Amino acid sequence: MKGYFSQMVSGVSTVFEGMSITLATLFTKTATIEYPDVDVRSDEALRKGGYKGNLRGMPENYRGLLHVDMEICTACMICMRACPIDCIVITNVKCDKRKFNGKSGKPAVQTRAATRFDIDLGKCMFCGLCSEPCPTGAIHHTTEFHFNKGSLAELVVCFVTPEQAALAQKRAAEIESEEKEKKAAEPKDKPAKSKKDDETSEG
Amino acid sequence: MSNLLVSLGLNETLASYLAVMIWPALLVNFVAIYGGVISVVLRKVGGWMQSRLGPNRVGPGGSLQWLADAIKLILKEGIIPAGCDKLMWNLAPFLIVMGVFATFVVVPWGSYIVPSDLNVGILYVISITALTVVGILMAGWASNNKWSLLGGMRAAAQIVTYEIPVAMGLLPAILVAGSLQMSDLMKAQGWSPFDWLVFQNPFSMLAFLIFFVGSLAEANQTPFDFPEAESELVQGFVTEYSGFRFAAVGLGEFANTWVVGALCTAVFLGAGNLPAFLGEAAFLSLLVFVVKVSLVVFVMIWLRWTLPRFRIDQAMEFSWKYLLPLSFVAFFGQALFMLATYERPWAQQITSHVMVLLFLGVLFKFSGRVMANIRLQNTPVNSPVKIQPPAPAAPAPAAAEPATEA
Repeated sequence: MKGYFSQMVSGVSTVFEGMSITLATLFTKTATIEYPDVDVRSDEALRKGGYKGNLRGMPENYRGLLHVDMEICTACMICMRACPIDCIVITNVKCDKRKFNGKSGKPAVQTRAATRFDIDLGKCMFCGLCSEPCPTGAIHHTTEFHFNKGSLAELVVCFVTPEQAALAQKRAAEIESEEKEKKAAEPKDKPAKSKKDDETSEG
Repeated sequence: MSNLLVSLGLNETLASYLAVMIWPALLVNFVAIYGGVISVVLRKVGGWMQSRLGPNRVGPGGSLQWLADAIKLILKEGIIPAGCDKLMWNLAPFLIVMGVFATFVVVPWGSYIVPSDLNVGILYVISITALTVVGILMAGWASNNKWSLLGGMRAAAQIVTYEIPVAMGLLPAILVAGSLQMSDLMKAQGWSPFDWLVFQNPFSMLAFLIFFVGSLAEANQTPFDFPEAESELVQGFVTEYSGFRFAAVGLGEFANTWVVGALCTAVFLGAGNLPAFLGEAAFLSLLVFVVKVSLVVFVMIWLRWTLPRFRIDQAMEFSWKYLLPLSFVAFFGQALFMLATYERPWAQQITSHVMVLLFLGVLFKFSGRVMANIRLQNTPVNSPVKIQPPAPAAPAPAAAEPATEA
């Protein structure tokens, strides 16, 4: 019997408290940011809208728009093979040998240059499987999330411009002709090694 | 209405015929517009209560959202599910709306205007609202869908459960007025809060609370919206409806809030009664009435956004184990109170004044809690300022539960 009445009392008192909380919220300012209307990337615009929350932006490990740093990309195609939905397309040609350190400080060797590096963001599911195996850290997710476009075709991002591709192709042709000349000059210079080189670059 | 037409110089027979035509036209239009407007108010207040904005795109501040919704719902295709009972399925939404519209026959507009002042007024309301549930049950059965059927069954269980406390909650008012007629119920109260039925004595206050909670359940308002529990029954009996039929179901539900508010106001909250020196100013009375109804409707919305839905067995328990015994207490208490103070008007005066003072005290305490909560919500997280914690809750009911069963 005591429980019966205490349950009534607790029911009434909790409704009382709950209603005071909802009424208090009615009178306090709303926390909504009207996203497309307010520039969420600018702290000033956010503060102007009365926003009192986090101003640091997206966290570091946020998987947003993909970006490729072509300066350190070796066109190794590992990302293309890792992609589960094949939204990355790379073609490459030979280029001058270049040695440098990747983002993590690991040494890398570039033997081939990309003539085409397209990412179809319409297909991309932002799983991050391409950025994990990248030996130099060239392909990575940015914290950018705002990339609404008018059509699907505009969502294909090209990281190699046609001019750069033409340049690379021209250089590759030069390198090939030089190599041919070399081969003609020294036909029996370690054939096994050159074969191995070809395999790695192809596969 | 017919008196008004006669005063304009019309034949009496013609005037009464015209009144029969004009009243429904006015009421149906009012209900349709009210149903739309309250749906926006509901979402807007809900938004603010959850620190959101609510609808704010159509019209200034989202105020025309209901027009956009109505146009969209009317233009949409009404899909008829395969295997449904076509006649019953098509009829059900309109039966639901009819059940709500029919109550407007006796719902008063101020203290001096009642569309049709039936001598069984309040009884008529109690019985006609059951028609809504017939519609819900039909919709659930005819939809050929298990969720819908469960929703319909819940509606039936709910009306059986909550009809009794609602009727018992009205009995104290009928005792005081000595009549079931709406105008008599309103006349039994005065204009000042001291003369309202709620504040007459503790038992009538209890009766009002029981009636209000029970009506919420009958009108299928949250926290009692079992027939269409979204999270459990995927909208229950509404699942298969689309287009205009869906709009009709929603309209019935929203219009029901006005019926509940108007009944609470007319029977317990002094209706639109005015002080004697103002005479029978029908328009002013209507204004007072509408303001009071709006306040009651606001409290309904407020409760809707505060309380989560009951579990169905909890709801049954709530009615049979708590509301029903309490409604008996209210009824007998009111009868005894009337007997005890029958020839002592001073005792009635003192009781009602004490009740109003108590209510003001509760209101004062409540506003204190609201201020504390506003301060709490305006304090940034992790701030060093210490806020007074909410009052300690009553002894944990979970621990005491076995005692009730024993």
